[in-house]
Amino acid sequence: MSAIEWGYSVLPARTMDLDRNDLGPVREMLEEMPQFGACIACGGCTATCTAGNLTSFNFRRVHTLVRRGEYTGAWAEMNKCMLCGKCRLVCPRGINTRGVVRLIKRKLGDY
Amino acid sequence: MVQTFYSGFVIPFIVGTSVLFAVIIYKYVRWMVRLPRRDKLKVWHGLFSVATLKGIWECFTECLLHRRIWRVNPLLGYMHTAFALGWFLLIVVGWVETIAYLGLRFVPLQGHIFFDYFTQDMDHGPRWGINFEVVMDVLLLYVLSGLVLAVFKRFRSRAMGMKRTTKLTLGDRVAMTSLWFVFPMRLLAESFPSQLPLWWGYSIALGVFFVAMPFSRYMHIFTEVPLIFLRRWGITSEAGREKSFDHFQLEACSRCGICIDPCQLQRDAGMRNVQSAYFIRDRRYNRLTRYVADNCLLCGRCQVKCPVGLELDTLRLGSRHSLSGTPSNGRFNYACDVDRSRGEGRVGYFAGCMTLLSPKILRSMERIFTAAGEQVWWADRDGGVCCGRPLKLSGDIEAARDMMRINAELFRNHGITTLVTSCPICLRVFREDYNLDGIEVLHHSEYFVRLLSDGRLTLKPGGTEKMTYHDPCELGRGCGIYDAPREVLQTVGTLVEPAETRDEALCCGSSLANMAVENSSQVAIAQAVGRAFEATGAGEIVTACPLCKKAIARGTSLPVMDLAEVIEQHLA
Ligand code: SF4
Ligand code: SF4
Ligand code: SF4
Ligand code: SF4
Repeated sequence: MSAIEWGYSVLPARTMDLDRNDLGPVREMLEEMPQFGACIACGGCTATCTAGNLTSFNFRRVHTLVRRGEYTGAWAEMNKCMLCGKCRLVCPRGINTRGVVRLIKRKLGDY
Repeated sequence: MVQTFYSGFVIPFIVGTSVLFAVIIYKYVRWMVRLPRRDKLKVWHGLFSVATLKGIWECFTECLLHRRIWRVNPLLGYMHTAFALGWFLLIVVGWVETIAYLGLRFVPLQGHIFFDYFTQDMDHGPRWGINFEVVMDVLLLYVLSGLVLAVFKRFRSRAMGMKRTTKLTLGDRVAMTSLWFVFPMRLLAESFPSQLPLWWGYSIALGVFFVAMPFSRYMHIFTEVPLIFLRRWGITSEAGREKSFDHFQLEACSRCGICIDPCQLQRDAGMRNVQSAYFIRDRRYNRLTRYVADNCLLCGRCQVKCPVGLELDTLRLGSRHSLSGTPSNGRFNYACDVDRSRGEGRVGYFAGCMTLLSPKILRSMERIFTAAGEQVWWADRDGGVCCGRPLKLSGDIEAARDMMRINAELFRNHGITTLVTSCPICLRVFREDYNLDGIEVLHHSEYFVRLLSDGRLTLKPGGTEKMTYHDPCELGRGCGIYDAPREVLQTVGTLVEPAETRDEALCCGSSLANMAVENSSQVAIAQAVGRAFEATGAGEIVTACPLCKKAIARGTSLPVMDLAEVIEQHLA
């Protein structure tokens, strides 16, 4: 079976339980930075991302998960961001994306 | 009375003076002791050098004459000079007067200050051919004329060339109010020297002012002096940490508010609490918020205007570092072995993130390199590591250094001798923070000038089309490059300048240094910038920074082009 490498694989099943996730931290974040809530998860930021171009870092994935209360690993992932600012220039919602990076790091540093 | 120099009313004055000097000495000694060893050595080396003499001269021109404020506005300059020089002369001439009338003998401080009270039964006729009474009265009137302007400025700042003045703290209010009373009380008391209550009033005004002074903005009166010398001896603030030297800068700020008007966050985006005057105030009183520290374009427009010459950008970076520094922890190890460069050549080209986002500039650069027959090594055309400046500007200096090391190594590995970049943000960090011995770093504008003067590039002269040029902050105020882009543009068209240009040029509003600003404010600034350029009557706006290009385009209907694109259009 392992002889053929197709380049893609089946992901383990994954569900998100919004009732069970702790939405406290993300509410705090949205309060501090309401524009974060304007994200439409279009992925423009990730498509242009300098860090994402070099490694598996996926900015949209991380901040979208954070908005749903899935925080595990978010801080470590955000640490890959170089704050270069490209994402902000392409974001159709004009979100201060670098502010989002730093907000997530600050709020979830010890999560 | 001449014998004892004592009367009950001198007590407020003496208490005030004692508190003043105790606090000042405590502060200065503490800050000096805490200077790092390297800085202390600089003090010893500088002490007996020309730097000290130059410092003395600067103290005279700046602390007494306030030359730099005169340049901002003559009335404002007059007000400051009247206070500083007038009061200084009152003290000096007062001293001479004491000697003239009492001879060379010890006279306690209050004897000098309340001279007219203690000598009221003496003959005050001229001594040594000088009518001291008249001289002192003229000097006092000089100070009072400054006072009238100061009161006037509080209510009508616009007339003094300032649209906005600073909001005051409690300490400022107490000090300012007592200061306003000092000179009129002095005039009254000296006019009626036998009236004890007037002397009490004068003494209390002085005492209250002196006690409030070290805790108010008036601390700048003394602090500018040590600051001038320390600066002359080569001591500076650092972006990577807060230093005890910073206190000298913070307390030398007079909160004059001259930095407020030039700030575009104020005049175009309506922010009223983030400007340097407020940042310095907040940091000084330990109430700096992350919002204020982060909400600044670090455009440098205020720094070029600050009459005290404070390192406003560096101070703000130091605070950002303290507030947000995340340890580097090998965060960027994933980028260590990245090398997606291509091409061969002694000349390297670093596009930088922002140019990578502007393919037109990249294409123009390629055509220009080909036209000039340059062999180019493309450092990051297919992606690369950011130069590190944005991270540095956010306060994460340690992590930024990791990125700088990664890039510097990449440049060395490919043995380039010249590094060209079209991004002033990258240029500045290459020049200021990278260790690139043996590699000459050029902005593309400088590189073009060289190609043109070497005859390697010939351009078709343009038509009569007028164009205007935007000085990017990082290129102009940041790296001092104003002429190179203009030189190139003048060969292909007619250049018209906006009202504020060169070191007074506007910021595009989207500076990466601002970590907090919202989109709407960026657009508002871009629109104001757009209007300033449209007013020149030019048909196109040229800039030399990929970020400025994108930012300004959001605020104007005129075409905005990078220098490289203009050159490419005119390739012969
Ligand atoms: S580009 Fe903006 S709107 Fe799109 S996913 Fe990224 S942050 Fe959200
Ligand atoms: S600022 Fe960070 S998330 Fe945005 S493009 Fe640059 S590296 Fe990616
Ligand atoms: S920073 Fe400079 S310009 Fe601004 S208030 Fe202080 S002294 Fe004046
Ligand atoms: S550096 Fe620019 S944005 Fe920051 S306070 Fe000064 S003028 Fe305002």
